[in-house]
Amino acid sequence: MAVQTLDISPVGRVEGDLDVRVEIDNGVVTNAWTQAELFRGFEIILRDKDPQAGLVVTPRACGICGASHLTCAAWALDTAWQTTVPRNAILARNLGQLVESLQSQPRYFYGLYAIDLTNKKYRGSRFYDEACKRFAPFTGTSYETGVTISGKPVEIYALLGGQWPHSSYMVPGGVMCAPTLADITRSVSLLEYFKKNWLEPIWLGCSLERYEQIKTYADFNAWLEESPAHLNSDLGLYWRMGLDIGLDKYGAGLGKYVSWGYLPHEDKYQKPTIESRNSAVIMKSGIYDGATGMHKLMSQEFARENTSHAWYEEGSDNVHPFDRTTKPKSKNHIDFNGAYSWATAVSHMDIGRLEAGPFARQMVAGGTHGEAWQHADGFILDAYKQMGGASLHLRQLARMHETVKLYRQAERCLREFRLNEPWYIKPQERDGRGWGATEAARGALCHWIEVKGGKIKNYQIVAPTTWNVGPRDHQGRRGPIEEALIGAPIADPTDPVEVGHVARSFDSCLVCTVHAHDAKTGKELARFKIG
Amino acid sequence: MANLLWLQGGACSGNTMSFLNAEEPSACDLVTDFGINVLWHPSLGVELGDNLQRLLNDCVSGNTPLDIFVFEGSVVNAPNGTGEWNRFAGKPMKQWVKALSGVATFVVAIGDCATWGGIPATAPNPSESQGLQFLKRNHGGFLGKEFRSKAGLPVINIPGCPAHPDWITQIVVAVATGRGGEIGLDELQRPKTFFQSFTQTGCTRNMHFAYKVSATEFGQRKGCLYYDLGCRGPMTHSPCNRILWNRQSSKTRSGMPCLGCTEPEFPFFDLAPGTVFKTQTVMGIPKDLPTGVDKKGYIALTGAAKNAAPAWAEQDMFIV
Repeated sequence: MAVQTLDISPVGRVEGDLDVRVEIDNGVVTNAWTQAELFRGFEIILRDKDPQAGLVVTPRACGICGASHLTCAAWALDTAWQTTVPRNAILARNLGQLVESLQSQPRYFYGLYAIDLTNKKYRGSRFYDEACKRFAPFTGTSYETGVTISGKPVEIYALLGGQWPHSSYMVPGGVMCAPTLADITRSVSLLEYFKKNWLEPIWLGCSLERYEQIKTYADFNAWLEESPAHLNSDLGLYWRMGLDIGLDKYGAGLGKYVSWGYLPHEDKYQKPTIESRNSAVIMKSGIYDGATGMHKLMSQEFARENTSHAWYEEGSDNVHPFDRTTKPKSKNHIDFNGAYSWATAVSHMDIGRLEAGPFARQMVAGGTHGEAWQHADGFILDAYKQMGGASLHLRQLARMHETVKLYRQAERCLREFRLNEPWYIKPQERDGRGWGATEAARGALCHWIEVKGGKIKNYQIVAPTTWNVGPRDHQGRRGPIEEALIGAPIADPTDPVEVGHVARSFDSCLVCTVHAHDAKTGKELARFKIG
Repeated sequence: MANLLWLQGGACSGNTMSFLNAEEPSACDLVTDFGINVLWHPSLGVELGDNLQRLLNDCVSGNTPLDIFVFEGSVVNAPNGTGEWNRFAGKPMKQWVKALSGVATFVVAIGDCATWGGIPATAPNPSESQGLQFLKRNHGGFLGKEFRSKAGLPVINIPGCPAHPDWITQIVVAVATGRGGEIGLDELQRPKTFFQSFTQTGCTRNMHFAYKVSATEFGQRKGCLYYDLGCRGPMTHSPCNRILWNRQSSKTRSGMPCLGCTEPEFPFFDLAPGTVFKTQTVMGIPKDLPTGVDKKGYIALTGAAKNAAPAWAEQDMFIV
């Protein structure tokens, strides 16, 4: 079969500007390069600014993950300034992040991802007509409900921080708000609305309690068959259709996963330090290596960035983010043997490149490492083992599986608030180094800050998409999405929906372009025109 | 039927996220109830690759009438005016912006980045970002001061970081229902219906402002955020306390000082050390006084207000 050349620019529905080049041989992707195509220089803007500038600027790095950036910015200053954070404030920060993630689940699933199930490629599937009815853009029954209801959870964010997106209500020493009883009861009601109008009837087809009984892949399959409501829920339909159209057959990726852990416990992290974070978070930090089946803890000191194939003039060494200088190259020509992206190659100093995201979180949640009191959940890890490894289909299940757990954690925050206790303890400003980490809806996020002479000397951000969309490193090793694209079957080169599936399964904050080149000569063949 | 095209330049997608929070009408309602044909949107569009490029080129050539061109994010000019740091659909985004603005009946800039340059244009502005027609308060934007869309209007600026969904959907509906000519714009090309009043208008802490009772620290249910915590509500044009955010609240109601994000100077003082969440004062008097108030008047007003302040003004008013 002749080598085919595609040039798709952009793929869309992946937030931001991303180009992907793939080589295709006999209808299968054999090599790939991911390119981030926008540079705004937030880390440069933050230099020499007020120490608290990150609270204003970094939520604006990403309007989708603003609460997660704000969380990192606040905890980074907390550790640098050696603050005390009252328990109410820890809960209020967690709640803000949780409702942002709850917002993201239906918005991402219907708005960005499930549209592709209505692609004409799947006309032969017995689920196709139903998928079109529910998932068609703007008019699909579930699309419209899902997109509209996604605005509800962040109404709670507005009660805490005044608005979503882009509040700065989390500050070193606590939060700016002091919710009243009415704010709390209204928030409870908003959560309930989300559950009663989408999560239970449309997504699950059952109560949260019934769904929570699922502990293994066998349990999940038994649940599916248990009732027509389960089979025909959006989750049931998605899972069965995905298997029918082969979404479980590709998109595996590196097989190594990272999570920073998140949701600091309100009684265990009131004196935050970089070192004490791992033992204080409810959702534990860690790494899972699929090849060895080993779990271990993750720590910021292991993080490294490499700019060998990125548009920066910072040499080819692996450096810790504290040691980065963020020097953009003026001319960003695309050179696949040299630099081809604004993203850096992030790695663990010993374990190498890692996939971040909700799937990674669930793989980590399946481990027995960490503290006994921390959250553990073996369902997705079991499914991974039973299904013989990762796939883009399992990546979706992991993301949506988490929704119920996030919902429960949000309920818990609302129960734990003590309205007559403080929300803020004014800290002493000082110089120092700080680190704040969390898990955004789409994966591991952290900020490093160095404050010197009362201003920011260095500010560094490693976002989930930096992990996932990073280019090759100094040893030529591919990044997670580059690796996940390998093996994707391209059925119709005029419409390579499979590449879209893989890219979107990571929910990267970027937009894609796909170039395809002759796998043997590397030469671009005749440009393929669609239509 | 009005054709709408939405693109993002140096953006964070925050305005898109805000837009998707709209409820009356919702983003879906715009399509199903108001006959707005969303030709393409970065987060919602179905077309990809060459199909999208053809769609864009059909707009540029006039084959597809472009009624409303919405732009989110700054116009990135780096490096050295080429725009190569923000490539889209095969070329620098700024080239698409120029071509599409030239054929659109209405051009709408959504959010601070598209209106004034926003956070990316904060010193030292590494991406050489501009707004569509402004750079900060000056007519230093990408399309030039004289730019007029086919309807004869300059760029309609809907600022805010992000813009409130109602500000977006109401203007889009006004244009789509033939009321585009009735949109009155202020000197910064903002729709007057939203940007004539102040953020402070409708703030639940107004009584504390009136009696000069200050919130001295965060996490307090009482007190005005203007005197100590840097709130710009009395100097910022926005309806944030009239048209609530996410149907529930506003920053000042929840205890967060207004950052003045609908004004071109945002982020104020370029975030210099000592300026974030702290009111800048000279001899105890705020450097930036409420719009239209002079120093002498301010001193007289606050003296009288302090004398008149009732005891309850010092208490936790919005009690748990």
